[in-house]
Amino acid sequence: MVVLETVLDATWEHVVLVYTTLFVSILVSIPLAFAALYSKKLELVVMKFANLVQAVPSFAVVAIMVPLLGIGFTPALVAIMLRALLPIVKNTYIGLTNVDPALIDYAEGVGLNQWQIHRYIRLPNAYPAMFAGIKFAGILANSIAVLTAFIGSGGLGEIIFQGLIGYNTNTLLSGAIPAIMLAIFIDLSFTILEKKVTPVHAGE
Amino acid sequence: MQSKRLFDRIDSIRFTGITKRYGNSFAVKDLDLEIKGGELLILIGPSGSGKTTTLRMINRMIEQDSGNVTINGLDTKDVDPVRLRRNIGYVIQNIGLFPHMTIGENIGLVPKLEGWEKKQQLERIKTLLNFVSLPPEMFMDRYPGQLSGGQQQRVGLARAMAMDPPLFLMDEPFGALDPILRKQLQKEFLKIKDEINRTIVFVTHDIEEALVLGDRIAIMNQAELVQVGPPEELIFNPANDLVADIVDTQRKFKHMDTLRVKDLMSPFENKYVLEGNTEVCDAVDEMTKREIENAFVFEGEKLLGEVTMVDLMKCKSKSQKLIDIARPIKTFQPKDSVAFALSELKNSGEYLAVVMNSGEPVGILVSDEVLLKLI
Amino acid sequence: MLTIQTVADVWSRHLMTIRTIEHLQMFSLALILSIIIGVSIGIFIYMKQRTANPVLNFLNIVETIPDLALIVLLLPILKLGAGPTIAACVLYSILPIARNTYTGLKGVDEQYTYVAEAIGLSPRETLLKVKIPMSLPLIAGGIRIALVFCMGVVTLGGLVAAGGLGTVLQNGIQLYQKDAILVAGLWTGILAVFLDSFAGMIEKKLQERYGTW
Repeated sequence: MVVLETVLDATWEHVVLVYTTLFVSILVSIPLAFAALYSKKLELVVMKFANLVQAVPSFAVVAIMVPLLGIGFTPALVAIMLRALLPIVKNTYIGLTNVDPALIDYAEGVGLNQWQIHRYIRLPNAYPAMFAGIKFAGILANSIAVLTAFIGSGGLGEIIFQGLIGYNTNTLLSGAIPAIMLAIFIDLSFTILEKKVTPVHAGE
Repeated sequence: MQSKRLFDRIDSIRFTGITKRYGNSFAVKDLDLEIKGGELLILIGPSGSGKTTTLRMINRMIEQDSGNVTINGLDTKDVDPVRLRRNIGYVIQNIGLFPHMTIGENIGLVPKLEGWEKKQQLERIKTLLNFVSLPPEMFMDRYPGQLSGGQQQRVGLARAMAMDPPLFLMDEPFGALDPILRKQLQKEFLKIKDEINRTIVFVTHDIEEALVLGDRIAIMNQAELVQVGPPEELIFNPANDLVADIVDTQRKFKHMDTLRVKDLMSPFENKYVLEGNTEVCDAVDEMTKREIENAFVFEGEKLLGEVTMVDLMKCKSKSQKLIDIARPIKTFQPKDSVAFALSELKNSGEYLAVVMNSGEPVGILVSDEVLLKLI
Repeated sequence: MLTIQTVADVWSRHLMTIRTIEHLQMFSLALILSIIIGVSIGIFIYMKQRTANPVLNFLNIVETIPDLALIVLLLPILKLGAGPTIAACVLYSILPIARNTYTGLKGVDEQYTYVAEAIGLSPRETLLKVKIPMSLPLIAGGIRIALVFCMGVVTLGGLVAAGGLGTVLQNGIQLYQKDAILVAGLWTGILAVFLDSFAGMIEKKLQERYGTW
């Protein structure tokens, strides 16, 4: 039997891991996406690397952290970020570039400077794509965070792995079910957030 | 499965008391019409007149609300629509060749589904491609996207002929082509029509096309049949003002003697120009790319003559130059009278001429066969 | 850091030839099942349009479930071994394949289905000869996404005694053998990237062949 307290503790660890990675990923992604606007080389690397990394199995990424960074919270965070970062950068970049050039021309014409164009034209235009990327990254992070318990990150995966050792169904489920509920929560909350920031609504 | 033919020839197609509504409005109202076996009947009228609806009720792509359509006395309602359609050739304006199939596969699709043997299919495809002046060895394995609009329309016709149907339905088949291309295909179509001698129902909104191609013309307006008869009857004996207005030739005819070539010509475009030393196979590719079926061959400023896509593709030696095969073409001056120009064209059996103004091509004159009939 | 000698050592000590074969066997079986089921569901929801939204919404929820949690959920039903891993692969892969099949079939230009009907193709023939071939590029795109999913999930199989390359990673981590982790991790990654690029090439070919001009 698993004590409720253990489950709650693990859930809290899990949430901290997922949202920390997501937060750091967003902080890194957005400047990176803007930087890609200025450098063709960086753009190429980001887009190519994004597609490539997407194909690598998460478990392989998590495992490779061990010889490189050891075990614990930090290697787990890096592993998750490696997978979660690129969908956000990629989507944000696509959103930033998908602006009607006429709009940019007009903005320049009425005297907005580069920074103002980024802030008031490109960024709002990128919100829907950006949030789709963040949502995807969030679900991915939640999924990989289960796995990183295997390299000592803690979280709900740890309960699952305990259950696997003794093959205890109850233990297994008390790790798996909260993880699934968290996934659905992330999906729903970001869908709602996504709707809120979509320009159609913002313009109302 | 090989299905038995429904009919080998058409004796008559009869519409009796046909009505089709969409909501509160009539698409076709109380239509009675007989199409005779072997004739080419044109359905013409403004958009929304019910001409296309009428055509589509023959192969049950649209089902009438009341009344009967019979073919050789057989009510189409009693026939499985799939079987009915396989006995009817169908050609439409946007052609609809399947982009994922080669030209050969497009033409051979229904024969294949009917269970023909491979060899038999291949033979049929080759015969048909030759029939529409597209050399099979050149076109069979290409994809529709690699063909010009005119070539695609020929393949569309070949596909309709695949099962050798006794009846063809044609829904504005030349409607999307530019006037010169349309003229060329109409001319070829008239030849084919005489050769295959089938019953054809043909929808168009172009009265000239109707007068040139039609054995009889049915004029429709606001879901009703206004008048049906041979072209002469419509021209000289219009049932009402609307028919007279659609036929409209009186007015053209009245001014015939005052009309000049420059009033009737289309502007000359550079896409029709090919150099005399171009090789024939390069010319075919170039004309496909430019979407033209006729080209005028120049050597520098000098007009040598005309070539058509059909001539080029019949040519055996591909290393020949255009200069060797260009046929002489009539030229006129902008100020020549139309009556003179048209009768000259009629006498020489040509339908195209170049209009030259002090040594420079300025226009293209396409024979107006409606006017020709009236000279 | 990695010499050929260590790679060869790790390779033989961890039976990586057999592990790779196991890995690819599970992967192929899962992918083939996913394609059969995914395409069938795609066609089904296309023909019964009213079922499309509920089915796709349900599959969308399945998609959010963490992969390891899904395998764990299937454990009590399918027991230890390859069963839960393959089943999880299929469950994940149905959505991209079914969704793309559905979108592809729906996206076929009406002029082609109209012509197919008018020249006398039965609804079945229209589906088989026109609609499905014209949807192939999109279906292939869905299969490519599924391929990546399957590679990921099959690798997790090592944690629930399904065999495959995940087993080598698991052993490597538990025994803290850095070389084994590196070799198996890189090899798994290379395999996945290679298969994905291969699928990408096929997708492109199909696009050229069956794409609408």
